[in-house]
Amino acid sequence: MASDTNPGGDWAAAMQKAQADLLRQWTDMGQSWTRTATAGPGAAAPPPGGVPGSPGASAEGLARHFLQQCEQYLGISRSLWDLVTRSAAVGDAEQRNRAFTEGLGSLQQQFAGLWATTPFGAPGAAPFGGGMTGMAGFPGMQGLAGMPGMPGMPGMTGMTGMPGMAGLPGAFNMPSLGPTREQQESWQRLGQLGARCAQAQMQVSGQWNDIIGKALRELAERLAPRLKSGAVPGSLKEVYDLWVDSAESVYAQAARGAAFVQAQAELTNATSQLRSAQRELLEEWAKQFDLPTRAELNSVHQQLRELKAALAGIRG
Amino acid sequence: MAEAQVPSTPFDELGELPGRLAATVRSLQAAADVTFGCSEKDAVYREDKLTLYHYRAIAPSANLPPVLIVYALVNRPYMMDLQPDRSLIRRLLELGIDVYLIDWGYVDGADRYTDLNDYINGYLHRCLDVVLRAHQLPATTLLGVCQGGTFSLCYAALHPERVRNLITMVTPVDFQTSDNLLSRWAQSIDVDALVAAHGVVPGEVLNAVYVSLLPFRLLQQKYVNLLDADGDQAQMDNFMRMEKWIFDSPAQAGAAFREFMRWFYQENRLLKGTLEIGGRRVDLRNVRQAVLNVYGKQDHLVPPAASTALESLVGTTDYMALGLDVGHIGMYVSGRSQRELPQAIAYWLQRR
Repeated sequence: MASDTNPGGDWAAAMQKAQADLLRQWTDMGQSWTRTATAGPGAAAPPPGGVPGSPGASAEGLARHFLQQCEQYLGISRSLWDLVTRSAAVGDAEQRNRAFTEGLGSLQQQFAGLWATTPFGAPGAAPFGGGMTGMAGFPGMQGLAGMPGMPGMPGMTGMTGMPGMAGLPGAFNMPSLGPTREQQESWQRLGQLGARCAQAQMQVSGQWNDIIGKALRELAERLAPRLKSGAVPGSLKEVYDLWVDSAESVYAQAARGAAFVQAQAELTNATSQLRSAQRELLEEWAKQFDLPTRAELNSVHQQLRELKAALAGIRG
Repeated sequence: MAEAQVPSTPFDELGELPGRLAATVRSLQAAADVTFGCSEKDAVYREDKLTLYHYRAIAPSANLPPVLIVYALVNRPYMMDLQPDRSLIRRLLELGIDVYLIDWGYVDGADRYTDLNDYINGYLHRCLDVVLRAHQLPATTLLGVCQGGTFSLCYAALHPERVRNLITMVTPVDFQTSDNLLSRWAQSIDVDALVAAHGVVPGEVLNAVYVSLLPFRLLQQKYVNLLDADGDQAQMDNFMRMEKWIFDSPAQAGAAFREFMRWFYQENRLLKGTLEIGGRRVDLRNVRQAVLNVYGKQDHLVPPAASTALESLVGTTDYMALGLDVGHIGMYVSGRSQRELPQAIAYWLQRR
């Protein structure tokens, strides 16, 4: 419900009280919810068919996700609203417009940061293959930061597991020598792929930063004329929805662009190769302990498939 | 010009927010027990992970050939019978149509070499065997949904004598229309590397792709909009059912995924007439039976042009396109679809 008058001095106090109330309720709900989630045996286990960490996993997971999204919503909406109110206070229409547009520019980093910290991560991060940092909410998709806990697999950032190789610049490109030559090559490949993934991730992040910047400019274009005429939006939600509309509109264009497609594909492809390389190393380790490997199992599956086909042929 | 006036609404909004948040969270927690599926059915055939279901009649028979629903490999088929007021299957049953449905199940690591030939000339073929035997018919109606529609098209082209009528719903045929973002992304993906890395491609990967098509809406705004429900439990239950369905994505058999991505998305073979399944060419001109092609005018996953391309490719003269003003998911559950689609299908079937 819009008012015709500016509440003036009361507004800061009202805002502070509302925020304090909100924070208290929020904290209470969070604590209550945490107790519920950790209360019973199996409470942390995903339901059958559910996706742990995704909003579809359970009502509890959805509630958590919902609260996190509301926090983001509030952050975005309040930042925009603060800017709207600051700009609206400027008497001259042209200056008001300019103040708003310039203010939006300063929000770019904050918005990009908010988006990157969503529980799902930046959605542009290799959706086909699982991202490096972006898909932390998806099970099995956050495994790029080395293999902590695996014997002899301290990670891929550098060659810290190889004697004398730690911290050597250009170690990934050194020719492999000596009795551990084959292992060195595997680690070098892992390191190269890790570096390639990091590079690709940077390209994708750059694309996202551009999208956020353009989305803010789009928002300015949609809001500024209204501010200029003195008609500010009626609610936080209205400003937020306008932001989402602007962002989706810009994203729809950018996501079709060659640069975005290329960056995303490179991240996906590099990630795929890295995962395969990681598995090869794991399998080497498993062989040393005479444990079954994926490659062995695949071989058995192929044999079974051929046998089934042969049997079907005999049966006619 | 006057200074802009700042409305007081944000203060009201912030003041109301704690209460609305609490109500929404309570409703979400209460929505944990939502159930899926509302129509009684019997499993009449099982093979590997697959189950063929036959739905029990709830109305006098309309004396039409049974309809075999071929669902997509992605997502679960219970979307076709989600709840009493959102069930295409229930509406068809109410109209006296006999309904079967293929549930492909959840593939696992043992299915990595299952390919499109296995799905189309194997599983689908044998399910149709069961239906035709049960009704002592030489041919019946296939209703293919999304990717299942593409499979049904391939099947009808390869085995036209066993398909009396063909209904395709939100089915891609031209995989490279300019408005198909999914296709645009797929062109540069190294599918071999992706499948080699995963073996079976996790459903989470597909989920990530789908939400990436509209990230600001699907990752954030739709949750924020829950506040507008004001804790309405029925609305929250509906939301929860959809949420469960959207993220209940089976993994994809590696070989089939590779073939689908490469042959359909990257090479557009179905459209070009160069597709081969099981060593036989899929020529859509062999589709001479009656075809009803249903598409969503607002579909962002399968844009209208991707579906309507079918008309110029099939050999039949009895082709009808039906565009509903809904999106991809709205085709299954929207009120408009529930009102219009089952009636349209029944009407179309009765005249053939």
